[in-house]
Amino acid sequence: MTGLPDRPISMVVGALGGEGGGVLSDWIVRAAQICRFPTQSTSIPGVAQRTGATTYYIEIFPATHEELDGRKPVMALYPAPGNMDIVVTSELMEAGRMLENGMVTPDRTTLIASTHRVYSIVEKSAMNDQLFRGDNLMNAAQKLAKRAVLFDMMALAEKNGTVLNAIVLGVIAGSGELPIPVERFEESIRESGVAVDTNLKGFALGLAYMKGELELPAPEPEKKSRPAKASAESLLVDVAAAYPAEAHAIVSEGVKRLVDFQNTAYAELYLDRLADVLRLDRERGGERNGWALTVETGRYLALMMSYEDIIRVADLKSRASRMARVRREVMARNGEPLHVTEFLKPGFDEFTSVMPPWLGQPIMNWAKRTEGRRNFHMAMRVRTDTVFGFLRLWGLSKLRFYRPRTYRYAEEQATVEAWLTTVKNAAAQHYSLAVAIAELANLRKGYSDTHRHGVANFDRVMREIAIPASKGEEDPAWGADAVKLAYDAALADPEGDALDKTMASLAEPPKAAAE
Amino acid sequence: MERSFAREVDMLRRGDGEYFEGEGILAITKALLQSGVSYVGGYQGAPVSHLMDVLTSDSKGLMAELGVHTEVCANEAAACAMLAASVNYPIRGAVTWKSTVGTNVASDALSNVASVGVTGGALIVLGEDYGEGSSIIQERSHAFAMKSSVWLVDPRVDHPRIVELVEKSFELSEETNTPVMMEFRIRACHVTGRFATKDNKKAAFSMNDRIPEPSFDLDKIALPPSTYMQEKMKVDKRFPAAINFIRDNGMNEFFDGECDDVGIICQGGLYNSVIRGLQQLGLADPFGTSRIPIYCMNVTYPMVPEEVVRFCAGKRSVCMVEEGFPEYLEQALNATLRKADVNTTVVGKDVFPKAGEYQSEVMLNGLAKFIEGAVPKGIDLGQVAAVTKAVANTKAMAAELLGAPIPKRPPGFCTGCPERPVFSAIKLAERDPAVGKMHISADIGCHTFSTLPPFNLGNTVTGYGLGLASSAGVKDALKGPTISIMGDGGFWHNGLSTGITGAVFNNHNNLLIVMANGYSSATGQQYLPSSTAGGNRPPDTVVPIENALRGVGVKWIRKQYTYHVGTMRNLIKEALTSTDKGLKVIIAEAECQIAKQRREKPIAARALKAGKRVIRTRFGVDEDTCTGDHSCIRLSGCPSLSVKPNPDILRKDPVASVLNSCVGCGLCGEVSDAAVLCPSFYRADIVQNPTAIDRTLDAIRRSVIRLFQGKVEAEAPLAAESASGAQIKVAAE
Repeated sequence: MTGLPDRPISMVVGALGGEGGGVLSDWIVRAAQICRFPTQSTSIPGVAQRTGATTYYIEIFPATHEELDGRKPVMALYPAPGNMDIVVTSELMEAGRMLENGMVTPDRTTLIASTHRVYSIVEKSAMNDQLFRGDNLMNAAQKLAKRAVLFDMMALAEKNGTVLNAIVLGVIAGSGELPIPVERFEESIRESGVAVDTNLKGFALGLAYMKGELELPAPEPEKKSRPAKASAESLLVDVAAAYPAEAHAIVSEGVKRLVDFQNTAYAELYLDRLADVLRLDRERGGERNGWALTVETGRYLALMMSYEDIIRVADLKSRASRMARVRREVMARNGEPLHVTEFLKPGFDEFTSVMPPWLGQPIMNWAKRTEGRRNFHMAMRVRTDTVFGFLRLWGLSKLRFYRPRTYRYAEEQATVEAWLTTVKNAAAQHYSLAVAIAELANLRKGYSDTHRHGVANFDRVMREIAIPASKGEEDPAWGADAVKLAYDAALADPEGDALDKTMASLAEPPKAAAE
Repeated sequence: MERSFAREVDMLRRGDGEYFEGEGILAITKALLQSGVSYVGGYQGAPVSHLMDVLTSDSKGLMAELGVHTEVCANEAAACAMLAASVNYPIRGAVTWKSTVGTNVASDALSNVASVGVTGGALIVLGEDYGEGSSIIQERSHAFAMKSSVWLVDPRVDHPRIVELVEKSFELSEETNTPVMMEFRIRACHVTGRFATKDNKKAAFSMNDRIPEPSFDLDKIALPPSTYMQEKMKVDKRFPAAINFIRDNGMNEFFDGECDDVGIICQGGLYNSVIRGLQQLGLADPFGTSRIPIYCMNVTYPMVPEEVVRFCAGKRSVCMVEEGFPEYLEQALNATLRKADVNTTVVGKDVFPKAGEYQSEVMLNGLAKFIEGAVPKGIDLGQVAAVTKAVANTKAMAAELLGAPIPKRPPGFCTGCPERPVFSAIKLAERDPAVGKMHISADIGCHTFSTLPPFNLGNTVTGYGLGLASSAGVKDALKGPTISIMGDGGFWHNGLSTGITGAVFNNHNNLLIVMANGYSSATGQQYLPSSTAGGNRPPDTVVPIENALRGVGVKWIRKQYTYHVGTMRNLIKEALTSTDKGLKVIIAEAECQIAKQRREKPIAARALKAGKRVIRTRFGVDEDTCTGDHSCIRLSGCPSLSVKPNPDILRKDPVASVLNSCVGCGLCGEVSDAAVLCPSFYRADIVQNPTAIDRTLDAIRRSVIRLFQGKVEAEAPLAAESASGAQIKVAAE
């Protein structure tokens, strides 16, 4: 060898289609070309471009054309595991994919990744929580990379009105892993001639981060809590005194929710109902189970009692805090009028929900009889930013006082009582069974058809497994597993195929055995 | 068109003493101009779309100067048929398409042109969209070269060499009176590089200098007895002439190496990967100097027996690195060596996978296995094993540290895509007991994504424009309804004749949905005969799909704007329950969102800058009414309709959330309406640069509403530790 480098610098960029990975790769290539380094890049657009994961691959030979004096390096077209100097990904899960593919090795790889999430369709369309949270990813990245630069570059970009790929370029430049001076990258951005100022701003931010000159904004906490209404204060003091610390967050939130939903008396009803459960939990060794029975029953009891009828929806949608949130979410600037259109489509379910039972019950019975009536809905577009649109919802929300006398209220309370009885009966039999039955209430979520399917699934699992097991008619240990299996199956597909299959396989349970 | 090529056109104009810098496919385009072509045609498709796009859009002026006729062909058969110009006349031409799909379509013309032979050089540029990220069936263009006796060039990836080989291929074509196919893998088409340019060559005959007389020669018609003579020519003259030309012009390359008891033979397109693999194993330097000799086959058909015998003679073992199945080259190599009585062991698909793309790791492991088996003199096998083991160990360690496989990320429709609502409507129609589950004969195009999550709609896909034709046999075999999908791209490619005319002729009663988004979108928004491009195309070249349908006798035709999901669902039901006889066609119309945004975004940005009133529309979800069931996502799959961790302490499941990338297409509102989903969606119209009227009205509204609302209650973020209730584990009883 003649003192020339013995290999090119290999770099792969993992991005999502339409995210600007191509632009990023062009900037890098151009900067390297300005430095007179032999450079090659390639990509695979096509199908992957449409929102799937795609990669860009770059090789830079760190000796100038002049230094090479006519010698030409042979450059590769594929990133190779064990052979990468820089791995960049614009998203957390894609960083995981690079690690999984062996692209990151401790001897030479610098891993640069933004830690925000762009959820895949598989995660998004699940009926429950299937989000990839990358719990092990940070540790894996630290162990497998020579150097790992991981932070939420998207949040930084959004906060500063710039773009992710420009920040990434700044981070790459600031890392010093490429033999390209900072000015060359800037020259490259300028030369491309598109949104130059925005891109230079992002570039400077990435650079500043690498120099340690940038304080990152603290991440927003996942969970938010509403302040309590004054009328809830004394109940909250009771909760703090009566409940174990593990249950405080949930039960307090339950109380606040129900005062907000109806009134203090309703929240007292909640605490009365839950008091039995807490007592049973104590008897059944709740402490060593982290008070799961109280926590889960407290959670779903509050959710079931604060069911989403049109009064509730109208109430939530007509609040001042909601308008403020919408403005924030859609990034409307001060002084820009915002028109908000709601898509409401009430049917007989919703109309009868605000009628007294003597009227609602027969109408519902009549409405259930034909397909046409079941599917009858009145499409309403309501402009909540206009006075009259707002007043329609505001007026509805004021029906709150009347809610306890409605058909829906009677129905919901009956369901709550039946479910609660089953949970309590089960608690006497088997702790896990009781917790599993408490969690079954999550199947009841959604609106209209989704809600109807959910309720049907809930009723079915209650009737066929939970209730018999809670009464000791079936082996409660078997029951605990069966309820969990059925719960998972009910959330596996919206058509209910998985639930049918699971219920069929559970149809022949072993007869009650000693616990 | 997906992008502008102004910079590239400048590159195409460069001449002696200058340099080209850019993508592989554009280097090929430049090479065509340096070779003096008189005509270029093709059909779009990754990875060769850019060749057509650059020639037919921004470089019209240059083409006129050079007298090059460019044609956007109706399909690949039309493109291949264009080569007929080179049959009688000494003019050079090139056509391009995506292989093998396009080569299938072109085969009729290919057989004929190959049989009668060409006078002027005829080049077919094939884009091999093989492997990762591809929607293409895994077959080999090599088989087409063999069956039609045309030559197949598979150049080593290096811009100067590619350009040289393009020029040589024209000579080869003329010397042997045979069309030449040149294949480029997707990464080679998109690879950047540079080469020293030459002046573009004006052809002797072109649009600017026309041929004085037509020529007639019965020998150039594929009819007996000419065909017998043509067959003899192929076998006795053209084939040996090709072998001689390839050899005499050094189209294939020999790279010496010190360990000459073994050798590697590779397809040209794999050469770079072979070198990188050897380099990783410590057996080559970055400039391609390898310790093991390499024979690089830039022409993979025909094989030059003399060259392979020369390379293999004296070697104990050679490795044939050949991507694709079946292993035609390995078979030919074995046969050639056997005939020449050379006893070299041929290793190939026994150390490499039988099929699939030869990515870096595959290459590394294949080469290592060959070396470990062949034991070349002077090579430290320990070092080779250490390299492959290190890679395997890293992956094992990563898998262990990550704990679970990383979820897949399947592609889908773009944000605001006008085709998505049609599939939302189909899903909703299926819920109607009067319709029920359907068999869907799907087609090729962006709409093929309907087969993926969240829709999973489409039972078969049999080829481009074949959605309707593929329903013919199945429609009367099923109790439930059968419907077909076809894009406007597929419609004009062949669907009008193979599908619609056939269905009318055979008195079908099915439903066909034509996705009319106005472009050949999946390949980069090229224009189609029915494209209006927002009024940017000359009206006298626009053929509305509706007119074509009426022309071939379809009576039941409905045009429907795709975003109206409820109406679309009702229309589908109407078509499926109708007692009218005959084919029913719904033209599902709405412009490709990418094209629309590209046109309208700059206009809106300019208006905004100029202080004009501009409404920005987007959707949102109220997080406190969303219960986290995600049924809206299962009916949409829009990238901008996402989820986020539930901010509610009581709820665990993520809530739906609309991202800033939302273009306000309206589907969210339509779906929640048509499917009666939930009241959580809202549409926000933000009035930018409001007028005085806007501002006054807004102020009045806000102050009146505030009277009723009272003061804003703030939402307090919760300290992280108190929200931990969600993850409680239940101890064993």
